[in-house]
Amino acid sequence: MVNRRNGWSIVADITTMVVSLLWLAPLFFAVLISVRPSSDPLTVGNIFFGRSITLENYQRALELAPWEWHYLTSFLVVVGVVGVQIITITMAGYAFARMKFFGRNILLFVLLIQLMIPSGVLVVQNLTTMRQIGLFDTRWALMMPYWASAFGVLLMRQTFREIPPELEEAARIDGANIGQILRFVYIPLSIPTYVAFSLVSISARWNEFLWAAMVTRSAEVRPVTTGLSQLFSATEAGTNYGQLMAGTILVVAPLVVLFIFFQRRFIESFASSGLK
Amino acid sequence: MEDIHSLTTTHTQSRRFKRPEWRQILPYLLIAPTLILVAIFTIYPTIRTFEQSLYEPGTSTRDATGRRVQGEDAFVGFQNYADLFIPQTPPHPIVGSFMQILGNTLIFAVVTVSITLPLSLGLALLMNRAIRGRSLWRFSLFYPVLLPLIGGASMWAFLYGNTGGLINTVFRSLGIGTQDWLNTPDLVLWSVIVVNIWKQAGFYMIFYLAGLQAIPKDIYEAAELDGASYFQQLYSITIPLLRRTTLFLLVIASTYAFQTVEQLDVLNRGMPANRSNMLLWYIYQIYPSTPARGYVNAISMVLVVILFFFTFINFTFFERKDDDGQ
Repeated sequence: MVNRRNGWSIVADITTMVVSLLWLAPLFFAVLISVRPSSDPLTVGNIFFGRSITLENYQRALELAPWEWHYLTSFLVVVGVVGVQIITITMAGYAFARMKFFGRNILLFVLLIQLMIPSGVLVVQNLTTMRQIGLFDTRWALMMPYWASAFGVLLMRQTFREIPPELEEAARIDGANIGQILRFVYIPLSIPTYVAFSLVSISARWNEFLWAAMVTRSAEVRPVTTGLSQLFSATEAGTNYGQLMAGTILVVAPLVVLFIFFQRRFIESFASSGLK
Repeated sequence: MEDIHSLTTTHTQSRRFKRPEWRQILPYLLIAPTLILVAIFTIYPTIRTFEQSLYEPGTSTRDATGRRVQGEDAFVGFQNYADLFIPQTPPHPIVGSFMQILGNTLIFAVVTVSITLPLSLGLALLMNRAIRGRSLWRFSLFYPVLLPLIGGASMWAFLYGNTGGLINTVFRSLGIGTQDWLNTPDLVLWSVIVVNIWKQAGFYMIFYLAGLQAIPKDIYEAAELDGASYFQQLYSITIPLLRRTTLFLLVIASTYAFQTVEQLDVLNRGMPANRSNMLLWYIYQIYPSTPARGYVNAISMVLVVILFFFTFINFTFFERKDDDGQ
């Protein structure tokens, strides 16, 4: 069934290419239109290129929103969330994987509620909470709700369980404390899981929009996705696609580049993220 | 051997942790940060959402000095839910379009899921073969998964554009009638659905790929000896053996479908006439208005219940096995 070469497999090859190119088309044309002069709509010249190549769309897209702040915010949020998550999921993951304590199963279930009720539907109440604790319109509001990750805890619990307990016992005999056991036994042996988790978390935070649009007002603390949204509102509907696509490329490029470098890693990571 | 082993362990433990209470408290300290955050940002807001969905917000008035005073909220039981679900004439002033938007959301979820899953299986079958240029095809099919929803959708906003858009330009040059993809009431929801199929197909494809690779090759060899054709093998071996994957994807795809609305920000924002509006986007639109507060919470609860239902199925079917395996 797999490697049989015949007429059908040529049909299948062609189908694969056609579908893939169709899937690639939105990105491909977004890039093309972003470097096409705005004086050349699609009907002038051929459909792929205008009469020249220009960066003017990028210049104007950059002027229409304070991108340097948006990039800074997105970057800080990604680092601030993933960094804290690594700590919280390591601690909780270890406790649930290797320690016996009263109420363990109940507490694990409480944690799982986070997976059952996605934060997206609780935005309005969380917004009220942020106002009450005085973090409305700050970058903290973009980070705090994500510092705990039930998915990450489950992932680390699973990974830590596969590490032979003998290694921990040996470290204990050598006088290692809990911090040293995590630092020298569990964490080094779980690097692939940390990488997988980080990739999923980085792209989730980079892509966040709805919550960010609600909980921030000032441009300085808004992430890149809101910049794109602002560009859409600022641009007359249906007029300047070159400019809109330039803005789109500004937002998606970091992830696409990251993906090109870590293609296989990314795909495996997303596969494990579905298992939550 | 076993005895010596456990003796050593107990001995070192009692030496390391002189005070027994430390050993008992430690696990709670390790999970405390996570649990406190879950309590603040998941459990508390869920309870508050339900509680507030039972109240009608007080009207704000001005006192003698002209300052705004917020009136007391009034307990109304399940009246907010009744207003959502029971049609009125004339339509309810705040949430009159709720049923239509709930309908859109259900159509969106059902159609997206029932097209995307077979499509991703097809893509997985295509990609599960020896093929040249594999990594380019894989990149093409998977990159939309990574993009911000609003970024992916904005590329489609250009494709869908009425006058300067790519699809209509191509149609015009081929002499096919053009469509205003995002402004035609009967078309707009389908235009949005296409974007989400494009975005998610690659994600589900990788699960089917994993599923396909787990099927033992000798089953196919045996079927081949019996003279079964490719499609007979597909229907009687592959699809039945992928049932578990399909069930799992059905759950996560449905859950995802109810929460995906960010694309609407650049795809005509639920217009025209709410024809592409969906529940979470609707919440986002009406939450700033104080009189709508009770309704916003009631709609949020409707979504909580729907999503809880799907994730509950997910856990009862899939996590249980995982726990037994340990």
